Amino acid sequence: MEIKAIGCEPLQLKRMHVKDGHTLKVYQETGGYKPLKKALTMSQDDIINEVKTSALRGRGGAGFPTGMKWSFVPRSSPKQKYVVCNADESEPGTFKDRYLLERDPHALIEGMLIAAYALGSQACYVYYRGEYNYLIDVMDKAIAEAKAAGLIGKNILGSEFSCEFYTHTGAGAYICGEETSLLSSLEGFRGHPRMKPPFPAIEGLYASPTVVNNVETLTAVPQIIEMGGEAWRNLGTEKSGGTKVWSVSGHVKKPGVYELPMGYADMEKFILEDCGGMLRSDKKLKAVIPGGSSVYIMNADQIIGKKVTLDYEGLVTGGSSVGSGGFIVMDETVDIMESSKNLTEFYKHESCGWCTPCREGTDWMAKIFTRISEGNGRPEDAQLLLDICDNIEGKSFCPLGDAAAWPVQSAIKRFPEDFKKWLINNTNGNSIGV
Amino acid sequence: MASVATDYTNKVLVTDEIAEFSPTVVAEMQLHLTKYPTERSRSALIPLLFVVQRERGYLDNPGMNFLAKFLNLEVTDVWETATFYSMFNLHKVGKHHIQICKTLSCKIMGEPQITNYICNKLNVKPGGTTEDGKFTVTLVECLGSCGTAPMLQVGFDYYEDLTIEKVDKMLDSLK
Amino acid sequence: MSTELIKVTINGTEHEVDKGSRLIDVCKEKGSNIPSFCYYGDLEVQASCRMCLVRIEKMPKLQTSCTIICTDGMNVTTKSEEIEKAQRSMSEFLLANHPLDCPVCDRGGECELQEMVMDWGSVEERFLEPKNAQPEKFLSPMVANDPQRCIVCKRCTRVCNEWMGEDEIEAGNRGANTVIGTYGGWLNCSQCGNCIEVCPTGTLLDGTYRHSTRPWELEQTVSTCTYCSDGCQISIGSRSGEVMRVVARDRHVNGLNGEFLCGKGRFAHSFINHKDRIKTPLIRYKKGGKAIPATWDAAISFIAEKFREAKSIGVVASSRLTNESVYALKKFSKEVAKNDNYAVSDSYDLSPFFDNLSAPLCTHKDLRYAKTILLIGGEPEEMQPLTAKQIRQGVKNGGAKLITVNESPIRLSKIASQFLHINPNSLDAFVFALADEKNDELSVKKLGVDVKEIKSIRETIKSTDGDFIIAFGGELGLEAQAVCANLASNFATETLKVKYHPLPLYSNSVGANDMMNGKKLVDEVLKASDAVYIGGSLLDVNSLSGKDFVVVQELFETETTDLADVILPAASFAEADGTYTNNDGFVQRIRQTIDLVNQSKPDWIATSLIAKEMDADFGWQMSVTTVFKELADNTEAYKSLRYPMLKDESKPVQVKHTLHPTKDLANELKFLAEKVDAMPENTEKIIDVPKVGHILHKVGTLNGKTEQFQLLANGNPKPENVFISPLYQIAGLNK
Ligand SMILES: Cc1cc2nc3c(=O)[nH]c(=O)nc-3n(C[C@H](O)[C@H](O)[C@H](O)COP(=O)(O)O)c2cc1C
Ligand code: SF4
Ligand code: FES
Repeated sequence: MEIKAIGCEPLQLKRMHVKDGHTLKVYQETGGYKPLKKALTMSQDDIINEVKTSALRGRGGAGFPTGMKWSFVPRSSPKQKYVVCNADESEPGTFKDRYLLERDPHALIEGMLIAAYALGSQACYVYYRGEYNYLIDVMDKAIAEAKAAGLIGKNILGSEFSCEFYTHTGAGAYICGEETSLLSSLEGFRGHPRMKPPFPAIEGLYASPTVVNNVETLTAVPQIIEMGGEAWRNLGTEKSGGTKVWSVSGHVKKPGVYELPMGYADMEKFILEDCGGMLRSDKKLKAVIPGGSSVYIMNADQIIGKKVTLDYEGLVTGGSSVGSGGFIVMDETVDIMESSKNLTEFYKHESCGWCTPCREGTDWMAKIFTRISEGNGRPEDAQLLLDICDNIEGKSFCPLGDAAAWPVQSAIKRFPEDFKKWLINNTNGNSIGV
Repeated sequence: MASVATDYTNKVLVTDEIAEFSPTVVAEMQLHLTKYPTERSRSALIPLLFVVQRERGYLDNPGMNFLAKFLNLEVTDVWETATFYSMFNLHKVGKHHIQICKTLSCKIMGEPQITNYICNKLNVKPGGTTEDGKFTVTLVECLGSCGTAPMLQVGFDYYEDLTIEKVDKMLDSLK
Repeated sequence: MSTELIKVTINGTEHEVDKGSRLIDVCKEKGSNIPSFCYYGDLEVQASCRMCLVRIEKMPKLQTSCTIICTDGMNVTTKSEEIEKAQRSMSEFLLANHPLDCPVCDRGGECELQEMVMDWGSVEERFLEPKNAQPEKFLSPMVANDPQRCIVCKRCTRVCNEWMGEDEIEAGNRGANTVIGTYGGWLNCSQCGNCIEVCPTGTLLDGTYRHSTRPWELEQTVSTCTYCSDGCQISIGSRSGEVMRVVARDRHVNGLNGEFLCGKGRFAHSFINHKDRIKTPLIRYKKGGKAIPATWDAAISFIAEKFREAKSIGVVASSRLTNESVYALKKFSKEVAKNDNYAVSDSYDLSPFFDNLSAPLCTHKDLRYAKTILLIGGEPEEMQPLTAKQIRQGVKNGGAKLITVNESPIRLSKIASQFLHINPNSLDAFVFALADEKNDELSVKKLGVDVKEIKSIRETIKSTDGDFIIAFGGELGLEAQAVCANLASNFATETLKVKYHPLPLYSNSVGANDMMNGKKLVDEVLKASDAVYIGGSLLDVNSLSGKDFVVVQELFETETTDLADVILPAASFAEADGTYTNNDGFVQRIRQTIDLVNQSKPDWIATSLIAKEMDADFGWQMSVTTVFKELADNTEAYKSLRYPMLKDESKPVQVKHTLHPTKDLANELKFLAEKVDAMPENTEKIIDVPKVGHILHKVGTLNGKTEQFQLLANGNPKPENVFISPLYQIAGLNK
């Protein structure tokens, strides 16, 4: 598996190949905790403005401008404020945070401390997906080191600023990546999403103002403070600042974690050259899901020769979106009916069951896919699936419902042949797999 | 395939028995409590469920009772949280819990072959436990390791870029 | 609550509505009915069923009207093709895994899902896949459960948590596998059955009435529960002279208790048609001999004859009798016995309370919206469940501050902002402290608390902006009750309103006290008479033996009837008309639901028959309204009240008891001081939390006739097989 930056200096991936990069010593030797020192000399507003200028957008999937999110927090509120890192990384096809957490935990600590300072918070929590248990050990060691060095706790680096830092574990629930579910889970409840408004910035963890950010969002913060928001933004495009880390899996020669400047051109080159091309040279590219499973699936025609740029606007124009930046590359051996079935089963399994359309809709779709895959498809199933998607989309309590609908909608529309084969001829197609 | 939803603790004959843990384990639990504001001790529920599961093999009745008491909750509060999360077992599982990722990236990179091989070798069906109680094999959703697909987890340990040879080696190493 | 008005346009028509109103309520009120399942007034909003979608101008996507608070100028569409499609699709989703077994479902005919689907359902059946199947089972002796029918609206889990504070029924599992249940599948709760009541489908069902009839075959009569002083409004379902079930009044009639009832009110009605009911008048010709059936005529003339011979007749009324029956007994004492020898049999004498009452009674609604509640002693969870529910909601949903003062860590103290854990039997010392700061020093020693705790209670009270409610019951000594009832002026300010909430035990404790003004204590009455006439039973029968002649009106044989010379079969609350006065001072009606069982008669009729035989015609002509008119005009607080004014159970009428704002209680205080002084110190505190049901599930004469209560009293063991009625398995074996 590759871990490297292409088209830019490695920023997020700076310490990925540095020996003992996860230790405080090496972290500091490579420039670590200087940004924090700098931040502590800045005003809270200046920091938030710097982040606004950087055009940093949330890397967890929704792409919300981070500086703006921070500015919603009522800093004057007498309540405790919390900074929570979303390290639940459960979106199929996404695994970038895992490497950041494994090899550069201090970057996250530093980013969160800067955020905490800017927001007047004295407590940070990192919420790990339960399966990332070994990463909690990594982080707990890092926390202990930082504490011993006076970077966490009372009067950090001799300043007025005090902040505690904790890890917390989930236990196997994709929905807990959704920020309000994450907070329910962090409070020890079932991971159901909560109503918005009130937004977490106003009433989040323990009904107090809370900012929830993705790992990669937070690790970008020290870089922004170090080089200045403007310089950081200029690495990318006007609206999509900086660099972005992408996870690539599936049928490419070099799957891995890649850091690219925002606006990287183009997607075709990225897959077919940077990632080493198709896994089996004789098999053609068939489909790519570029943003983790919850975005529209793209067919080869939407990629080859289309010069799709890799940034928020570029991918939307190209017919999908950035999401969590998880590329799943599929060659012609993959049957898109079966891949859709696979993802639908994922959403059915992960639907929290709170709201009607998602709970029943995903269950129903999964049953239809099962029936189709058993050779009992009917021509009207395509329309039925589309209609179920339409009935879920925009009507569910949280975006998981939409996330379950979009892949199926786009698959049926963009790969009609794969469905016709199952629904009209009633023949069993090739099963997916190598 | 109609999935059958069950209240899978129905058959539990509820006892008042409360599990006991060694002072080291209790200290570990107490350490978790220190992470959260005192009136928010329920926050520690999930980490503590993991501790109980580790200590008792699965979330048995006395273990659940212990947590209810420890956190001043109703045992049903513990139940509602525990059953929501797929990593908690309310029934016995094998000594080694092999969890094979079956989501898209792993699926297209050879998960079916790996699953078949493991199930044949251990003579179990997915979801089942070997007769000697040593292995439970389950198919799970994406484990955040798609770049090194196919992959699986045994307990908390990752086994990635799987091949048949690697699986053999892994199974041999699990005693 | 603000009364500011704002403008909201619904389907093109502009309406003025209160600022802060919820859109779904406004739409319903203004005639644009919106389908909904999970929304339930006064429970936390959950917005999960997604039935209530509407289009709001300038907002993306359809919005759930249950989550929207109206803003000025809001433009709402509730009917359009798009919305209709959304509603039909939600119904379709809800029915996907729902079995189509309405014809055999107990809820059939009164199922919200059924009704909703008829109006908003999908036109064609598109779900052809296998349904997720689950077997029917029991969750407790009272609660039957068909999990397949669940639509996960979670009303049940919310009432269990918000109303009952029990957290016994919860959602388990995830996604399409979500089930409503409990750990181990067996509910060891108070068995209130409110989860059954609020369930919109046939998922949770009354296990005592299951499969016994269809709802549309039932005649529904609105009445008042006979168990405790909260006086919940109920709807009795009967069929051919038999009471089949009791449910709360319709949820849309908010009234006193909405859909709330406790387990006794809901399930313990088998006594009404029970085979052990006393069937005819019985005469015991020889003391200690057998009581022999007689006709009413024979019994009445026998009684009259014996009463004529008596030197002095004492009269005792149970506080379970209606106002009418208690009044009849008092009138009998005044006009026939002519000796004012009358008393109320109750475990708690309310005279000290009402004779010194310094502020008005609060209503249950006041409790829900109170700012501070001081609960001195008592355990409403077990004895006045509606009161407990209102307090709980006041705290949980209304942010009220609750202060509990108790020798046991009662369950309500878990949600209290302050729990004063006092020494056993030291409750009076708290009232002593409350009466005057200078008493603190002595009191805290006896209470076993820190003086800071008392001070902090005073602070909390003082900072109250709104209603401050003092609730207490008969655990206080008589003087302490008097003092406590007279405390209003200690606290009342312009912004702090004091209200009182007494915690008596029986359905007509307050009414009986009102009717029998000038009453004596039961023992005094018994001592002073050779013949005794009792409506109901006595709490303690010791002083009854040795009386020359005893007449008892009862439903069942009790220790009291064992000592009676004549026993008259009384009518139960389901067979008579009348009124009860509850602890809010609400005068509420009971209505005859079924024909008189056996030869029973309402108590007041029996009394007037005896009177007539003794040449005192009460002139009531068998008309309960005439009795009520007379009692109203003879009771200060009830003046000019008439039956028609009591017809709407959703708008109960509160009688206003005379207030005694400034009374000289120097004597009482002196006595109280001595009593407190004599209390021991350093006694050991009770640390065990009282078990759910330790009083509520006690088997008494009435609830014991419902077999399920025998199971509860035996610890509610989980049966071997939850698929078969636990009654067959456990009770059946025991028999
Ligand atoms: C179903 C669902 C799953 C999500 N999973 C994740 C996740 O695993 N990690 C993550 O960082 N954000 C996830 N998100 C996005 C979060 O809700 C939230 O937007 C994010 O944590 C905010 O951080 P950001 O602004 O830094 O992206 C998910 C959202 C949804 C609706
Ligand atoms: S869309 Fe609904 S059921 Fe699905 S995860 Fe969100 S709240 Fe839960
Ligand atoms: S009533 Fe609004 S979502 Fe259920």
